[in-house]
Amino acid sequence: MVSVRYLFDQLLREEWRMHARLFGGWRFAAFPVFLAALAAGTATFFALAGSETETLLAGLHVVVALVGLQVGSIGLVGRDALGDLLGDVTLLVFSARTLPVSERRLLAVFVVKDVLYYALLFIAPLVVGVAPLVVLTDLSVAVLPRLLASAWLAFAFGVGTSLLLVGLATRSRLLAALVGVAALAGGSLRPGLVVAFTPFGLYADPSYFRLAVSVTVPLLAAVVGFSLFEFDRTGTTRTAGNQFRRLTGLFGARDEQGLLAKSLLDVARSSGSLWKVLLSQGLIFGVVAILLGYIPDILVGVRPSPGLTLGSVLALGAFTTYNWLCQYDDAAFFGTYPIDLARVFEAKLWAFFLLAVPAGGFYLALGTVVFGPTSLLVGATVYVPVAVYVFGVTAYVAGLRPTELLFDTPVFMLFSGAVMAVLLPLVVLAIAYPLAPTRISVAAVGLSLVAGLLGVVGYRRAGPKWTRRARAGDL
Amino acid sequence: MTDRAIETEELTKQYGEVTALDSLDLDVPTGELYGFLGPNGAGKSTTINILTGQLTPDSGTAEVAGVDPVAEPVRARERVGILPENGKPPYFLTVREYFDFVAEARGLDSVDDRVDRWADRLAFESKLDTLCTDLSQGERQKTLITQAFLHEPEVVFIDEPLTNLDPIIQERAKQFFTTYAEAGNTVFLSTHFIATAQEMCTRVGIVNRGKLLEELDPRDLGEETLLDRFFATVDTDTAAVDPADPAALAGEE
Repeated sequence: MVSVRYLFDQLLREEWRMHARLFGGWRFAAFPVFLAALAAGTATFFALAGSETETLLAGLHVVVALVGLQVGSIGLVGRDALGDLLGDVTLLVFSARTLPVSERRLLAVFVVKDVLYYALLFIAPLVVGVAPLVVLTDLSVAVLPRLLASAWLAFAFGVGTSLLLVGLATRSRLLAALVGVAALAGGSLRPGLVVAFTPFGLYADPSYFRLAVSVTVPLLAAVVGFSLFEFDRTGTTRTAGNQFRRLTGLFGARDEQGLLAKSLLDVARSSGSLWKVLLSQGLIFGVVAILLGYIPDILVGVRPSPGLTLGSVLALGAFTTYNWLCQYDDAAFFGTYPIDLARVFEAKLWAFFLLAVPAGGFYLALGTVVFGPTSLLVGATVYVPVAVYVFGVTAYVAGLRPTELLFDTPVFMLFSGAVMAVLLPLVVLAIAYPLAPTRISVAAVGLSLVAGLLGVVGYRRAGPKWTRRARAGDL
Repeated sequence: MTDRAIETEELTKQYGEVTALDSLDLDVPTGELYGFLGPNGAGKSTTINILTGQLTPDSGTAEVAGVDPVAEPVRARERVGILPENGKPPYFLTVREYFDFVAEARGLDSVDDRVDRWADRLAFESKLDTLCTDLSQGERQKTLITQAFLHEPEVVFIDEPLTNLDPIIQERAKQFFTTYAEAGNTVFLSTHFIATAQEMCTRVGIVNRGKLLEELDPRDLGEETLLDRFFATVDTDTAAVDPADPAALAGEE
């Protein structure tokens, strides 16, 4: 039997080679450097704005836990891939069908590899990036090793939680949703639980007990998730009625080439179905709600506008919806039909509206229940144009391969720079909101509308740009 | 309909240091079943991709069904059918939905009758409501063949069409391709199955290193087989192995 160590080595080698080859050899090695610089810039900005150091570091833990949730979602895509539902075997993790290795074992080693790989290349640079706080605030150098450990464990916590939810979802989606909602509600109603049961506690209140809890909880969540994970190896053939025809009939002239109907069916019929859109936005809502509701006076003694914060961050999170929409597409497929890629991006935009706007609207409405309606109207007004901006930037920068290309350092720099250019001013406006609500609302809406227009420009240029690259053989 | 289905002049394409096409001249009249033979990396797929507007050449001209695929790629693809090698039908559409998608993409009214005829011809009636991701390789190939011919194009490019098909369906497909060309359409067949090309094609072009080395009518070969002619024409250093050399086949020095 092939050893776990051997599998781990090969998977690690494959991951590095894939990134290095895709993104220009050692150019990929610049990625952690850029991440550290980005984190340093953000930390400096907030420190100079008078933020509490502890709040910033809590935010860091939230960010790395979110990255962990994303990495752990391999369980979702992996279920399709491991079951050979996606066709060609392109990575070792998808090759259980042809190798004498159980799917569960292969997936477990893959996740361990991912945790270590991302911990070194992504999480460590983010922690290094907060180093300016040592100079700018009262943060002690001696705290940094503990911060690194708790950030790594927070990342593992995100991965473990994701695996647990995905494992549960393969048995019962309702149960997974209930567990997710219960965890978020628990964290919201009893913030002490976050310190008690997550690796943030190791940073906030260090002790051997906290260390044991911080290691055990992610591990336990991952093990339970793996145990529950049900691989789709039944060999059943799935059939369906002609939903495509119903959808094209419904959309009429808006979907002349059936591209919108195809996009929606891709999302609806892949693992996680349409719920994954609501779930990914729900995670963002939960985290922002906890931060807004239970960390008082986050910055410079002023409580930020919940509506503006939620609207901006949820719009940024709509990136995941774009990702779901493009997961199963490639330019070569469309290139065999009389389809202009510009029409493909147009269909993606409509599909994006149909999925992301109701999901964002739902959580903004939920926000009015939690925080009151005062500033949420502004948040709702900001949400749609900023989401369009995120769509336009992603379509222009990354085309139909958003996940893959965003690991390319220059592309990622362009993407994050473009997003930060709009998000940072909106965050500042959210912080300053209580000082002049009306004027700041007008400024935020104005800024978001300009961003939305830029998003439309990006989306309109995406088609010609990616057509040109496809026809040059550059994809 | 024009007399010339496919014409290229001095078509050239480089990928970095590699010359994929080197001043390729092709002239395929309407109604021909043209076989395009060559070893791996000879430039067959690059040729098809340029002729169907999927790729831009570095220089040279091309015309397919009266349309310049370099200047008007989408219009060129309206006029032709394409069966790509290693193509994949959309995972999460059913077979019937995929054909509806092709019909929408090509602006056809209803293709139900044509789909039924193809399902009968290639024996996949029972799979019409199955998600494409759950099809076998052979069923996927049948689906892909069907989509290439669904709009009854005057020129169709088929790359390794018989892959993964059982012998009965292979025969039916070959018979259809022949009949389709005899009806006045043009079939451009790229394949490694040399015996198939000899059996079906009205003319064959042998290509290597992006150059068209020879064109011939397989019916004029006499005692010689197309395989013999292929190895006599292609520089064997660039072919994978010499089939006459068992040691080479076994990968030995």
